[in-house]
Parts: sequence; C-alpha cells; structure tokens
Amino acid sequence: MKIVVSWLKEYCPTDLSSDELAELLTAKGAEVEEIERPWDRLKGVVVARVLEVRDHPNSDTLCLARVTAGDAEREVVVGVRNMMPGDLVPLAGPGATVPALPEPLSARKIRGVVSDGMLCSPWELGITTEHTGILVIPDDLQPGTDFKQAYGLDDSVLDIEVTPNRPDFLSVIGIAREVAAATGVPLRVPDVALDEDDEKADEVATVEILDLERCPRYLARIVRGIGHSPSPIRVQARLTASGMRPLSAAVDATNYAMLEIGQPLHPFDLARLKGPGIVVRPANDGERLVTLDGVERAFTSDDLLICDTERPVAVAGVMGGAVAEMSGSTADVLLESAWFERGGIQRTRRRIGLSTEASTRFERGTDPEAVPLGADRACRLIAEWCGGRVLAGSVEAGGAAERRRVSLRPSRASLVIGYPVSAADAARAFDRLGMACEVEDQDLVAVEVPGYRVDIEREVDLIEEVVRVQGYERVGSTVPPVRQVGGVPPAYGFRALLRGSLRRSGIREVRLLSFASQEDMEMAGGDDPIRITNPLQADEAFLRTRLLPGLLRSVQRNVYRHVRGVALFEVGTVFRMKDGAADERPSLALAMTGPASQTWAEPPRSFDFFDAKGVLEALLEDAGVRHWSVGPPAGWPFHPGRSAAILAGEDALGMVGEIHPSLVERLDLGGRVAAAEVDVQVLMAHASSEIEVRDVPRFPPVRRDLAFVVDTATPAAPVQAALLEAGGDLIETCLLFDVFSGPPLGQGKKSLAFSIDLRAPDRTLTDEEADAVVRRIAERLASEFGAELRAG
Amino acid sequence: MDPQEARRILDEERERGLSMIASADSSEALDAAKVGVLGRKSRFSQVQRALGSFDPEDRKRLGMAANELREALQSALDERSRALAGAEQARLLEGDRIDVTLPGRRLRTGSLHPLTIVEDEMVGIFTRMGYRVEEGPEIEDDWHNFEALNIPPDHPARTMKDSLYVEIPGFLLRTETSAVQIRTMESQDPPVYIVAPGRTYRREAVDATHLSVFHQVEGLAVDEGISFADLKGTLETFARALFGPDRRVRMNPDYFPFVEPGCQVAVSCFKCDGTGCAVCGNGWIELLGAGMVHPKVLENCGIDAERYTGFAFGIGVERVAMVRHGVSDMRMFVEGDVRFLQQFQGAGA
Repeated sequence: MKIVVSWLKEYCPTDLSSDELAELLTAKGAEVEEIERPWDRLKGVVVARVLEVRDHPNSDTLCLARVTAGDAEREVVVGVRNMMPGDLVPLAGPGATVPALPEPLSARKIRGVVSDGMLCSPWELGITTEHTGILVIPDDLQPGTDFKQAYGLDDSVLDIEVTPNRPDFLSVIGIAREVAAATGVPLRVPDVALDEDDEKADEVATVEILDLERCPRYLARIVRGIGHSPSPIRVQARLTASGMRPLSAAVDATNYAMLEIGQPLHPFDLARLKGPGIVVRPANDGERLVTLDGVERAFTSDDLLICDTERPVAVAGVMGGAVAEMSGSTADVLLESAWFERGGIQRTRRRIGLSTEASTRFERGTDPEAVPLGADRACRLIAEWCGGRVLAGSVEAGGAAERRRVSLRPSRASLVIGYPVSAADAARAFDRLGMACEVEDQDLVAVEVPGYRVDIEREVDLIEEVVRVQGYERVGSTVPPVRQVGGVPPAYGFRALLRGSLRRSGIREVRLLSFASQEDMEMAGGDDPIRITNPLQADEAFLRTRLLPGLLRSVQRNVYRHVRGVALFEVGTVFRMKDGAADERPSLALAMTGPASQTWAEPPRSFDFFDAKGVLEALLEDAGVRHWSVGPPAGWPFHPGRSAAILAGEDALGMVGEIHPSLVERLDLGGRVAAAEVDVQVLMAHASSEIEVRDVPRFPPVRRDLAFVVDTATPAAPVQAALLEAGGDLIETCLLFDVFSGPPLGQGKKSLAFSIDLRAPDRTLTDEEADAVVRRIAERLASEFGAELRAG
Repeated sequence: MDPQEARRILDEERERGLSMIASADSSEALDAAKVGVLGRKSRFSQVQRALGSFDPEDRKRLGMAANELREALQSALDERSRALAGAEQARLLEGDRIDVTLPGRRLRTGSLHPLTIVEDEMVGIFTRMGYRVEEGPEIEDDWHNFEALNIPPDHPARTMKDSLYVEIPGFLLRTETSAVQIRTMESQDPPVYIVAPGRTYRREAVDATHLSVFHQVEGLAVDEGISFADLKGTLETFARALFGPDRRVRMNPDYFPFVEPGCQVAVSCFKCDGTGCAVCGNGWIELLGAGMVHPKVLENCGIDAERYTGFAFGIGVERVAMVRHGVSDMRMFVEGDVRFLQQFQGAGA
C-alpha cells in the first residue's frame, strides 16, 4: 500500500518527517519497505501564460509557443498543439529538471529554432502517465508561480507492506489511525458534509439483496447532472503516486475515497441501469458478463453478481460490467458502497483470475460500518469536482453486524508478554487505538471491537494490541528453564556421520533441487514417481526418485566450466509413490570424473570404479557396517561390466560402478564417470556403533606372501574368502597386495598376491605350523579355483 | 738399531706420520696411512721391537717417547677419520637434496555444503541449550501444513506464498517446517523444546534472491509460563552464539497466522555493530519471523492453551548463510558449482 505522506497528515497532522514516520510505522507492524519521492526531480518548473502559438517554420508537426512566466517572454518548441493563447502551462526553463527526464533542460535548437525550455505534459511532471498533450493548468495561478509549491508536490510516499491480518492498513485513514495511536496526535475524520438535493434517492432506484450471507450490506447513493472534467491536479498526482490511474473526476472521486477510507466504491451510469434498481444475487451457472476490461467472463452459482432489474451489471466486489459503465455522456451516477463476505470474493477472484483494488480489500475484510462513510465521502468529492446534485439519503439493504465484544485479563497479558500489565495499562492502550473499552474489574477489560479491526477475535488478539501499542522494545529478555538434554535423533546424526565420511574421502557436498524432469526419469529409470500438479516449469514436473540424475547434471556443469577432477555427493530425500501414498527415503549418491591425481607426486590417472568403491568401503566402515558383499552388476544407468550391487545379507544397500558409456556420451562428459548410490535407511539398519575390544596380541606374527595363478575371469573376492576359510583361526590379516597378468604368465592367466599374517594368541608360531596353513590354503585354492601357488 | 737411531726414527716418524694422516683424503687413504705409520711393518713398530735390546734406562725413556708418539698419531688418526666421515656424510646429504618448494603429498580434501555448515551450527546452538531435533515429511497434508497452523482454506495467508501440490489429493510440499511443530505437539505432551531443520518448498521462479527449494530451522518451546520475553531472550542467546557476544536483538510486530503476538526479528549487524554498512544497510539484519504460539494452534494439537503457552520461530538457513559468508546470489546454493563449494573447504564440524 502506497501512502502519500501529505495525505496522511491531513488525517493525522503530525510534524514527523517521512523517515520518522517510516520508522514508527515499522515498529508498529506496518512495515515501510521504501520511501519514494516521486517529485524529487521536479525542480524549477513554473507556471507560464501562453501568449501566442504559431507554426514551426521547418516542421509540419511541431509548433512554437510564445510564453511568459511573468518576466521576459520566451519562445519554446512544442510537439503537441493543445494549448491556446491565454492558457496557463507548466514551463521547464533551462536548468529545470522534471521526474521523467534524466538530464536538466537546456536551451537547444530544434529544427533550426532555439527552444528556450519545454512545456510539460502530465507524464513529464510525474502527475499521471498521460503523455498526449501539454498540461493545461485549470487553476487561476499567477504566472511565475513555482509549480511544485503550488500543488504541494514536495511530498513523499511510504510503500507499506500490509500483512493479511490488517486490511484496515489498506487506507490512508487506517495508517493515520495507527500514527495517531503511536503519537497521541488526534485523528481527524474525512469531510463528508453534503448539500443534499430535495429529490430522494430511494424514490429513484431500488436495492435488493437475494444473498444476505454473501452480501450483508448494500448501499446506493445517487448524484444527478455531473459535469465532465479532469479531477484536480493534486488529486491526480496523489492517485498516480498511490498506484492508480486518474480517469475522470467522477471515477477518480470513488478511487480517492476508497484509498482514503478503505471502502471500495463503484459508480454506475444510472441511465444504463434497468429499473433503475440493483439486485444482488448469485450467478446462474454459465451466466456471462463482459467486464470493464473488455473480457467476457462466465460465472458459476458460487459467484455473486450485481444486477439491475434485468441482467448482471457487475461482478460483486471485483469489477464492474461494460453495460452500465460510466462514459463521457453520463449525467446521473448510482454509487455502490457495499460489504461482501471475504471468502466468496476470494473464490470468485481466483476463479476468474482477476485481482483488483476492490477485490484485494474485500477478500481481506472491509469495515461494514464504513459503507455509508465511503459513499458520502465519494459523493462529496463528486459534487466538489464535477458539480451535480447529490440526492437526499441513500437506498440501502442489509446492515452492519453488531460489534464484537472481546475481553482481556491483564493477568493473562502479563504472563504472555512477560512484564506486568494492569487493567489501567490495557485500557490506556485501547484508548490510544480508539477502541472503546470498559474496565469491569481489576482483571477484566472488555473491548468493543470496531468494524475495521477484522483481526480481533479473541483475548490473545487484544494482548498483541497492548504490547504493540506499548512497544515491542519494552519486552524484556529471559530464557525458559529447559529441563532436558538436547540432541538429535539417530537418523539425523547418521546422515551427518555419512557426510563427514564422504568429506574425508575427498568429495564435495552439493544440495540440489528436489525436482526431476521427464528426461531425469528416463535417465534414472525411476518407477512410480510423484507428479507435481502445478509445477512452475516443465523440468520440475516430478519429485526426484533418485539423486543420481541431478548429481550427474551437476557434474556436467562443472566439467563444462573446466573444473579439474570433479567429485560430488549429496545426501537428500527421494520420493516415490507407494500404494497411493508418498514414500520418502533418505538417499546418498556420489559421482566423480576427470583427473584423480592432484599433484606432481602421483602418476596421472582418472577416476574409475575403484575410486567410487574405495569411497564406499570407507563409508561402510565409518557407518559400522561390517558384513557386506559385492553383488551382481547394478543395471542401468551403470556400466554392465564395471558396476555392482552392494549387499548386506539379502538387503541391497546400494550400487557402485561406472556410468554406462552411452549415458556418459549423452551427457557429453568424455571419460569415465564413477558413481555410487546408497539407501541410507537400509544402510542404517545394518550399521552398528558398538565397539568390542579384543586384547592386543602378545606374540609375533609370521608373515607369508602367497601368489596364486588363476584364470583371468576368476573374481578375487571368492578366492580371498576361500583363502581365509582354509587358513582358519590362525590367519589374522590377509591383504591382496598385487594383481598381475602378462608374461611370464600364460595367456588368460593372472596372479593374485596375498600377504597374510598368521598369529596364535597363546604362543609364537613355528615355521612348521605356518607351512601347514599355507599348504592347506594352496590345496583348497587348487581344488576350488585351479589356482597354482607361484611363490611363498 | 741403537738408542740414538731409535730416537731419530721416532722424531722422523712423528713428522712423516702426521703429514701422511693430514693428507689422507679418503677413508681408504687414511687406512693406508694408519698401516704406514703404526702397522706391523712400520718403522715405528721396528723401534718398538728394538726397545727390548736397549738398557733399562734407554728402554724406559724411549718407551715413553714411543707411547707418547703412538697416542699422538692415534689421536690424529681419529680426528682425521671423524673429519672424513663428516665430509662423506655431507656429500651423501648433498646428493639427497630435494626441492622443498614442491607441493606436499596429500589426500583429496572434500567439503561440506555451506547450508550444512550453517544448519549444523544453528542446530548445535539449540541442542546445547537443551532443544531436541525433530524431523517430519517433506510431503505434508493440508492439516499439518495449513489447517492446524491456523490457516483455514480461505485464509488470505494461503495466497501469501504459492504452494506446490502433488498428485496425492490433500498433500503438498511443505511450505514451512512449522508442520513439524504440529506433529510433535500431537504426539508429545508439554514441555516441548524442539528445533526442526529441513527442506521447504515454494512455487517460485529461481533467481538471485528466490529459490523454490530452501531450508529452515524452526524452533518451538511449549511449557508452563513461557512468555514473549522468553522468546526474545532465547533468540538473543542464539544470535550472540552465532554472530558474537555484543549482538542485540530487535523485534518488530509482524503477522504469521500461527503466532500471536508475532514479530520479525533483526540482529544488530556483526560487521558494523549497528551503524549501517554494505552487509546490513541500516545497522540491522532481518533474520527471522517468530511469535507466541497462537492458542488455536495449541488447541488444534489437544494442548490446554490456558495452562501452557509457547513460542515459535523460523530461521531461513540460506538467509543466515548469505549474511554470514557474503553470498550474493542464492542460486549458488543449488548449482553444485565446485568453484563456489571449494571456498568452504575446511569449514564445518
């Protein structure tokens, strides 16, 4: 809501500056986001009289105006010829500045004639957006008068963020009321004195409400014989600064009164209303009306229409219809001032997708008591600006609801706020706010809630008013006595543990958006995704079913940006549909590509399967997962020969592998991409943080290095498993330290070299004992894998 | 050999021996010199062997001289040997020299995401104050996300921010982690002291100051006698732990349907201490929204709103991270750009 400061001060004549007002209002909950000064650049523009207008010698469109601002005469080149000799116009001489132009004006030659300044349009002066002609000043001002001074444009505008609970702040009066409460400067009421005609409004038109729930109050006033002229310049300037477009004086009057009081008003051309009469009723399903914006709209029985005695003429609380629109020939006006139920207006506004100044106010809640006030104020302004006769009285149906009475216990207020509040304190606060109250006893203050305070329904609403008026800065600072130990749930702590492990393994954490596109779905082979029904963009149509697609795209972006050796991980939630409900699971993924070596000291190489697997091994160890195994290839989008499922017993913990070359190519990554994905929930189920300490061995180990030659296709893990089994209890550690193929080994053969430590807990092993173990191992591996012991 | 000759030989050998030792330039040469001056075939040994044939007086006198010479030569040999060994080692060390300016061997270092770092820090402050972390689903039902939080279907607050709905009827992506408040209060009797960190969603185009997915740390305290002053003191304690001991907290009235009185909380700027600078503008950093839990919310969770009061607050993790680290574009948080992430190397627990 934009509030013009001079306007605000008409209703609360404080001498606070704009900055002070902004600070004060912000401290009271009407946050001033910005102080605008729309006429800051309006300097040096004066009123001048046109003496002569003649053709420009070198142009068909331009003309020359001889003007005087009381001193010497001067000639200016003008683009539009709408002023006549004798007219008063705004003159911006050399050195003057106007809001619409970035540079000060100077005398300059236009088509061979020197223009000694410029005559201004309303747009150039920042009064309206009108730029079709020079502003012809309607008021009788002395030439030479400073334009800005004359129209009080040394003004500023407070741009206030209005919270949904305070629709009363959507008006100058509402803000003035708050300033009055904060400063103690008394609030003034708008001038609604009317010189009424003898003719009575209720003898001219009728009003009938067929749905009193949706429209509890409807009031019409009639003004006959209005003239047609623009509204006063200052009014136009204020409307523009408030974000509205000046149209004609009669329409401007309704908008001006609405901005002032907060009561939306709608003028109909009385001659175009059948009856003439107003009927407020629900629409018939499919009923149509062309609204003022020229769009034909269809309605449902949940929409409320304003009709004349035959047909709809307006959408209640949202926008008027074209059929009874005001025009240049309108003589008589029927002015609507009504109170509509909030929810209904909101539903209609949403359904037809049309938000207006009126609907914004109605759907947040207007003051039923302001219905006559708004109408009277607008009539007064119409009479003032357009002439015309205001008919006596009004035509009204329905009425304002009774005021709510809400009570406050000072003891309760003290408890909630945290400092003592007495009944007198509370009463003072309500008095400041202009809310009638009664101290019933020391611990009960009854408040009569004015119609404009739609937000006050129960005690706590009053408590807030007390502390707001007294000032939030009065609130003290204490800490509640917490009688528990803080901490995190196991799942939360487990995810932190995983992040720490991956970080130590040299990987960087990312956090990506939770959305997925159709393409991601294909990339991930995701089943049962959850669809977002109102995505902002097509690539956010689903919730991600796994982390890998987003992670791979993140890797891709880094590769495109020439980052060397990208290694990223994410720990986040993935979503799937399961039996019609959402299944959310914590997941973990990592991906790495490019140079794995970082310094001169390592041989250059790129990330591959074993990097990802190594990271995963460290992760499983850190998580306390002791028993796991390598399963079959992981499937798409992994490389069939360079990937594996990771199992813990029967459960799939996740998968590790290189990304399928065809996907790598599609992502234009050029090189191997190693990745892994883990189901954090399953991982946690297999994790153990228990540590059981065994005694440190007292006897020395016997170390034997054993190299076995096996077929190239024989996987290492079962060989090692068999070795351990055959070795029995005496094997303490077994390290696969070399894998080798090529001469002198035969074709299709490889050597697996293990370094084993043998140890007994109670004695030093003899060579004979160690030899026996080695023999057992060799026999077992020979029979199971055809392995041949090379050296040992 | 007579005693005079022996005497002469000893004198000659002293001079010759010391000079041979001194000129030995390797351990091999020194060994040869040792054999030459003190070995069995040396002239010195000949003198020693001849001593037995001299009369006792000469034997004693020349014996002493011979011993004295041997000691002198031996000590010269030792000294020379040490010198040679030192030089030898120096030669070996010189050959072992490396370029110490080359970078060291190290493991790859990863990094935590700035939002993780900041969230951990914030959560850590509250858990040390005795708060427990609670989590809830990211896909919420209308009750927990709106209704129970005092936001009925036609409430204007529903239009404040657009929500993302999913295909499951009545469910949406949570717009605040406040939903966790409700879940906690529904399942646990007061006293309740919790923080709820997590992801939240808005239907919003992503730009420098907006994200459709962002993170909050929500706090809730419900107990007997909890006041607005407790809220202020708690947030002050938090702000001082996060931004330094001299921070002050300012509350301005604000509106959130689930709290009343509601407030917007700002912290005096940690850069300029409240005088105004590029970080804060006017000396205050707006940090979070908060307030006293609305009695209707307590009632919705079956809590006696007359007996218990509470406060709640919601802190934007991105907001804190941006202020803290001078991040000017929110998109950096979700891009996964290593050039951004690596700046947080070494940070975090």
